[in-house]
Amino acid sequence: MAEAEATGLIAIGAGLAVGLAGIGSGLGEKDAAAAAIGAITEDPSIFGKAMIFVVLPETIVIFGLVIAIMAFFVL
Amino acid sequence: MFGRKGKASNYAYTAARVKAKKAHLLAEDDYSKMLMMTPQEISRYISEAGYTKEMTDLANRESGLDLLEHATYANMANVFSSILLASTGGLYDMVSAYLTKWDNWNLKVILRGKSYGLDAEGIREDLVPAGSLGAESLEKLVSLEADDDILAAFGRMTHINFPQDVLAAYKARSNLAEIEDYLDKRYYEHLLTVVRPTDRPSLMFRDYVMKEIDIKNFETILKLKLDGVRGEPVMKYVIPGGKQIDSKLASQLAAADTVEEAVSEVAQIGFYEDIKDALDPKAATIREVVSGMKKYEMHQAKKFSHLYPLSVIPVLDYMIHKENEVNNIRTVARGAESGLDRDVVKGLLVI
Repeated sequence: MAEAEATGLIAIGAGLAVGLAGIGSGLGEKDAAAAAIGAITEDPSIFGKAMIFVVLPETIVIFGLVIAIMAFFVL
Repeated sequence: MFGRKGKASNYAYTAARVKAKKAHLLAEDDYSKMLMMTPQEISRYISEAGYTKEMTDLANRESGLDLLEHATYANMANVFSSILLASTGGLYDMVSAYLTKWDNWNLKVILRGKSYGLDAEGIREDLVPAGSLGAESLEKLVSLEADDDILAAFGRMTHINFPQDVLAAYKARSNLAEIEDYLDKRYYEHLLTVVRPTDRPSLMFRDYVMKEIDIKNFETILKLKLDGVRGEPVMKYVIPGGKQIDSKLASQLAAADTVEEAVSEVAQIGFYEDIKDALDPKAATIREVVSGMKKYEMHQAKKFSHLYPLSVIPVLDYMIHKENEVNNIRTVARGAESGLDRDVVKGLLVI
């Protein structure tokens, strides 16, 4: 019973880690992507560089994912 | 953050676009090069510096200085319209209120053109369809003959109701100043209503507008003083809402007997340092004073342009710089065409 409770809490923690990280990076990406689209509209040649800046906040989700995996397999 | 229609402002998108556009504006070096050129060479130079489309479009109808002047205005109108089209929410409201000045400009051009007997083509050359009125609406206004019809149609298009006393004074003396004065006052009143001081960037925008009102008022007072008008009649033309020149200081300036006396009154306000050389009684010309005040205005815009990247400030900064670039190009081209001394032309540029 206690083990099932612990597994449930780990699952909730993992979910929160990925979910909250996703919300955070989404908020960050919102402005970065809007600015990138604006810049690409004026100069399409910077598409590659702009894309890198758009996906940079995405790395935060990977941190969340790592924590979630660690919660499941290490704890 | 939200406009009247409840849509959020897209600061990131619009600010990125105007910053990309700003990178293509002419630099100080470009003006130095242009000062050495003939009008034809200037036309070729700006064709390669962002005015290509407009120069090509108009090349089969016009040539020389006319082509350059028309193309620069057309380019500015296209650029401002694209910014307006890109903005949403509160940003749209502010940009659109700021660009209303071009609607007023266009009405003034049409009325002045008609009163001087210019043909439709001559009037069209100076129109800048950058405000809420597009080329089609302006064409409709140009096609009208009587001033009353033009004013009525303009009123319907822009939702402006000209007061009866303004119309009566205009008709009685055929003095366009009555209409122009009313439009200027209404423009600034409307702009200050739309730009609410809800956050720091809006407050800075508002501050800039109020300083612009100060500069306009000071210019009006000096011009009227040179024409021998002073005292109460001057106050009629003073736009309310200035930052440093309030109604008390304005009436003191208006009551001063000479320009020099007015200048000593103005010594306490912000832009005095920038115009004091031009106000030297031995050398003072109204042109130099106006140029000094324009430089002050640009300096103010430069000071805050980088402070709030996700706000209306970069957009305002770009619009000010673009308008200034167009005015500079026209000044250089006109100077070259009329054979003015390069140093004189350079002194007139606001860089």
